Amino acid sequence: MQGAMTPGMPLFSPMMPYGSGLTPQPVQNTNSLSILEEQQRQQQAQQARTSGQTPQLFHSQAVGGSTTTALPGNTPLFTTPLTPMTPITPATPYVSHLIPPTPIFVSTVNLGCKLDLKTIALRARNAEYNPKRFAAVIMRIREPRTTALIFSSGKMVCTGAKSEEQSRLAARKYARVVQKLGFPAKFLDFKIQNMVGSCDVKFPIRLEGLVLTHQQFSSYEPELFPGLIYRMIKPRIVLLIFVSGKVVLTGAKVRGEIYEAFENIYPILKGFRKTT
Amino acid sequence: FSNTKRERKLKSPDVLALPRVQCPNHPDACLVEDYRAGDMICPECGLVVGDRVIDVGSEWRTFSNEKALKDPSRVGDAQNPLLNGGDLTTMISKGTGAASFDEFGNSKYQNRRTMSSSDRAMLNAFKEISTMADRINLPRNIVDRTNNLFKQVYEQKSLKGRANDAIASACLYIACRQEGVPRTFKEICAVSRISKKEIGRCFKLILKALETSVDLITTGDFMSRFCSNLGLPKQVQMAATFIARKAVELDLVPGRSPISVAAAAIYMASQASAEKKTQKEIGDIAGVADVTIRQSYRLIYPRAAELFPPDFKFDTPVDKLPQL
Repeated sequence: MQGAMTPGMPLFSPMMPYGSGLTPQPVQNTNSLSILEEQQRQQQAQQARTSGQTPQLFHSQAVGGSTTTALPGNTPLFTTPLTPMTPITPATPYVSHLIPPTPIFVSTVNLGCKLDLKTIALRARNAEYNPKRFAAVIMRIREPRTTALIFSSGKMVCTGAKSEEQSRLAARKYARVVQKLGFPAKFLDFKIQNMVGSCDVKFPIRLEGLVLTHQQFSSYEPELFPGLIYRMIKPRIVLLIFVSGKVVLTGAKVRGEIYEAFENIYPILKGFRKTT
Repeated sequence: FSNTKRERKLKSPDVLALPRVQCPNHPDACLVEDYRAGDMICPECGLVVGDRVIDVGSEWRTFSNEKALKDPSRVGDAQNPLLNGGDLTTMISKGTGAASFDEFGNSKYQNRRTMSSSDRAMLNAFKEISTMADRINLPRNIVDRTNNLFKQVYEQKSLKGRANDAIASACLYIACRQEGVPRTFKEICAVSRISKKEIGRCFKLILKALETSVDLITTGDFMSRFCSNLGLPKQVQMAATFIARKAVELDLVPGRSPISVAAAAIYMASQASAEKKTQKEIGDIAGVADVTIRQSYRLIYPRAAELFPPDFKFDTPVDKLPQL
């Protein structure tokens, strides 16, 4: 198969491993019909276009293309490169004009020794410790800009880093600070625990409509919290959706889950756009 | 005429095993119970099928023979079959004569304690629910619904670690919502010792455990209660309802809690009528801060003229409404 790269088509390879299973389906399918139609239309468009390519490619494309939620105005044409599929950040953003949420990382590490929080708070720079309010030292460093909670058991939580590597680097820096203060700090069990991302869909949303149709996933109690709490099953992500159109996604263990969740929720939110 | 004492018979929980009484002529007819005479009567032909049927209501006294001043037969409290699963116990009261005490002065027969131990916590919770409901004058149907919800949650045991009072308060909240007369979390807090946060948490957990959902609250659900607590006439209440609904339709208050919008609407309506209420008074009744009312009021004030109902009699015209 010669390189039949039709110009201008976004490379959609990363969708293959993720596109399957329980993408959220609303209880009353107000939107699914349109989604189905679009999927069919896209499939037909793909069929028309891929007549020149190998049948193997067409088959894999059909499998990959139909299980993901179709995004209007974005006809993915899966042109396989000769290189194996790698999840690369695509040249054009996933959801046409929108910026995908860049996640913030939360990680934990065990320093392996008991710490005296009072000495740390007194001697370290940029450390605050208020035992009556919270039982940990809150330390901040400027590069990479992160915050760490250091507990007396020796465990530490590091938040605010923009990438996995930065989170690890920041955690190492904190461990170094603790080490310099005289404690035998080690660096055990570093693990990324959580990723939080926030983004904007740029239009106001009708939360009442969303909670009616997606009852089993959403919880909207204006008395308790002004945003709608949407618990997506696959991938297992919790989204906080606000009237202004801002969305916060959290609970991801890998970066792709945040993107995938955003891809899944965007067409649903478009269906509940406020018209006034 | 024989005496009218009733004896309590063991009502086995598994009714299907026992032979049902049926009218011999109409086996399909559903028998009507005449509890005053203790008969089961066939509605088709009037035949008295069952005689001396057991009355499971609360105990009652007999006046048939005047000689007996005391009525020694006791059958106890009304049976509550839905909720207790067959509570049949015997309690021995403290004796009065000298013979009821043994050598040390302790009373013989001390078994006052063990009374349906399996459901003691549930009975306690029912009592608590009844007390809470009584404080805000909730009708019997809501209390019954709350008891049912609590029973379901209790039997499921998924929320076993939580304080029973918290679960009871959350059940009360859900019952009010399900009956279409929601109470705000703050109102439930006022009659319960549990914090709003904990009630909110239990509320979400219960909805998940019972796999139910509730309707979203609207501004109109609270109007009649708030307005009558403030002593506002019906005209003002209707105007406030209209204003709140219109404000939500026109999307003047996106993201605001319906309670705050309702409070602001009441403020606007009362300020335009003869019965003016201050923000603080409304805030006290509704459980919102007066700054919150101020915020929501600022959002609806610009379009006040369209929000009022067309037939409203203004005591203070729209342009003279206070501007905060």
